Amino acid sequence: MDAFLTGTLMLFGDPTGLMVFCAGLLGGMLFGAIPGVNMLTLGAVLLPFTITMQPTHAVMLYSVIYCSGVFGGAITAILFNIPGAPENAPTCFDGYPMTINGQAGKAIGAAVCCSALGGVASAMLMMAATGTIADWAVRAFGPQEVFALIFFGLAVSASIGAASLWKGWLSVFAGLLIATVGTDPVGGIPRFNEWTLAGLEFHSYYLSAGIHFIPMILGFFAVSEVLVQATNISKGIRERPKASLEFPTIAEFWRVRFTMIRSVCIGFFAGILPGIGATLAAFLGYSQAQRWSRNRDRFGKGELEGVVASETANNAATGAAMIPLLALGLPGGALTAMIMGIFQIHGMEPGPLIFIKSGDLVWITFAAMFWANLLIVLLGWIQTKTVVHILRVPFRWLAPGILLLATIGAYALRNLMVDVWIMYAAGVIGFFLRATGYSAAGIVLGLILGKLGESAFTKSMQLMNYDFTGFFGRPISAVLLVLGTAAIITSIIGEIRGRENRMGID
Amino acid sequence: MKNDDTDKQEYGQTMNVLLSSRSSLGEWLAWAVLVAIVYSQVSNFDREIQEYAFGATGWPSAICLCILLGATGQLAFRIHANWRNAAAGQLQAPKEPMISGFRFTKAGALTFGFFVLPFIYLYLAQRIGFYVATPFFILGLLALMQVRSASALVLVTVVVYGLALALFTRFFYVALPTGRIEFFYDINNAIIVLARTGV
Repeated sequence: MDAFLTGTLMLFGDPTGLMVFCAGLLGGMLFGAIPGVNMLTLGAVLLPFTITMQPTHAVMLYSVIYCSGVFGGAITAILFNIPGAPENAPTCFDGYPMTINGQAGKAIGAAVCCSALGGVASAMLMMAATGTIADWAVRAFGPQEVFALIFFGLAVSASIGAASLWKGWLSVFAGLLIATVGTDPVGGIPRFNEWTLAGLEFHSYYLSAGIHFIPMILGFFAVSEVLVQATNISKGIRERPKASLEFPTIAEFWRVRFTMIRSVCIGFFAGILPGIGATLAAFLGYSQAQRWSRNRDRFGKGELEGVVASETANNAATGAAMIPLLALGLPGGALTAMIMGIFQIHGMEPGPLIFIKSGDLVWITFAAMFWANLLIVLLGWIQTKTVVHILRVPFRWLAPGILLLATIGAYALRNLMVDVWIMYAAGVIGFFLRATGYSAAGIVLGLILGKLGESAFTKSMQLMNYDFTGFFGRPISAVLLVLGTAAIITSIIGEIRGRENRMGID
Repeated sequence: MKNDDTDKQEYGQTMNVLLSSRSSLGEWLAWAVLVAIVYSQVSNFDREIQEYAFGATGWPSAICLCILLGATGQLAFRIHANWRNAAAGQLQAPKEPMISGFRFTKAGALTFGFFVLPFIYLYLAQRIGFYVATPFFILGLLALMQVRSASALVLVTVVVYGLALALFTRFFYVALPTGRIEFFYDINNAIIVLARTGV
């Protein structure tokens, strides 16, 4: 507690530090909220400038961008069905229908409060037990556990956003298949960069680098949404969502208290594990909220609990993601890898000794993350009162801006036009997937977790000498695999029963 | 006579099930074709990896198998449901043909335009450059969105294009394509210089 108070005093007592803190907070929120760019864009742009900054300021800046950026992406997810980052994708499922129903203010209000709650809870847990948790996570989680966790995550989240269980699974498999494009994780052999069809040969160096998930997300969500709206406009359907500024009531938050607690636990647990992070946390948080909710039939149609679950879980993962980075020097995602880069630029090495050698830096970072998450409530409240007014602008005027931002965002990722082509192709495919009941989110989930899953599987096989029963020799992986399998079986039974019930009603 | 009636009834039921499962069969076929195409390409990278027995093809092949199983499960599930519906007398063969023929309508043409315009834009942006192609893309989109007011067309184009230039060219120095044709390359560069004036 003393260390935290000292960190807070140092943060607010240093004008430069305070300025960096505010810039990170606003920058993260802004970049998170602009479709097509995200906190990683901001992080990449700012990285060269960190050389001239004090290491404490630089690390704090990125930690604050991480917290506010994850929240910022929820705004566009709710208002336009365009997630600012992959971890905001599940927020679209209920956030956007709420906007359509004239409850945009409530949805953003819930996202603001729950992001803050998830982030603060995670920051407190991080402060309390970074060393112990990191030590446990690294000892207990080998490749087998990571593979089992991914299997479990996919098993419980597969049918999210799909019309049926089968369509959900097929969407995830399609995502996993797309993830195989590029080099294989063991031998580095390029896959699917050469195609031979009907005597014609096609070769692409671009495909050797794989298909990045950012253009796919922009295509599936942003471009396909514009296409859906444009098709409606061409048919003469012009519905403008009501720009409501109504915040959720305390009673509404009280109703979803267990969902919040559950999502904090899920987010924190998923955040600790390198590479898993906020995306799986958000999907797991959402799927578990749907599973245990009394209003599960309302999920996907504008249920506040859906927004609460995903936004609490993804922000809860932010603090947790700092644990393996600070305590063990293991970055869990792209932004934490940039923080790792800052440490290296300044000749520092994160690890257990950092708490002794650079205690100030650690505690200022902890304090900054804590206060950033708290300030999200204030800034988010102001944002709610202002940003919702964008809905008053006719969509016909907004659409070119959305497509242009998405185009630049996809291109700027790797300076490749092929990424933009892929984005628009994904948009057209996403349009038809939505019409046929397949899940764009499922494909994205498969694409993000595919590479990680394959890598964990190959390492597991090598470690277990190709003995599949080895997965059951380790308690955590055994439990996760059994739970995942049970989830698949129960969802198949649920699908059969649901169909029988529907027949009975007919 | 009674047997004939039963046979006819069963035949009718079977036909109803098959007709109502046409879309499911089509879907299964689409997945099967996709898997066949993808699997046929696996041999292109079927090389042995010394330290990994399943090689580079193991994981993609397993996913192809999973897709096939999923698609077959979906088909079997739907046919089974249709049989049950048919047995319960709740299934009727679709009266309308699945494809009712193409009719050219204004809405259809606009929708087609939305799908094609971005690809034309990308094709052109690589050749004449992002900075020249973009205003025309914005105008094209607005026209397809049936914005008819000249002031709205100009205002939205100027605001969207101006903001994109200010944010990405002036502040973030994002290197956007400047085209391959010399004349347009020069124009693109002139726009970049203009956007960065005073920086």
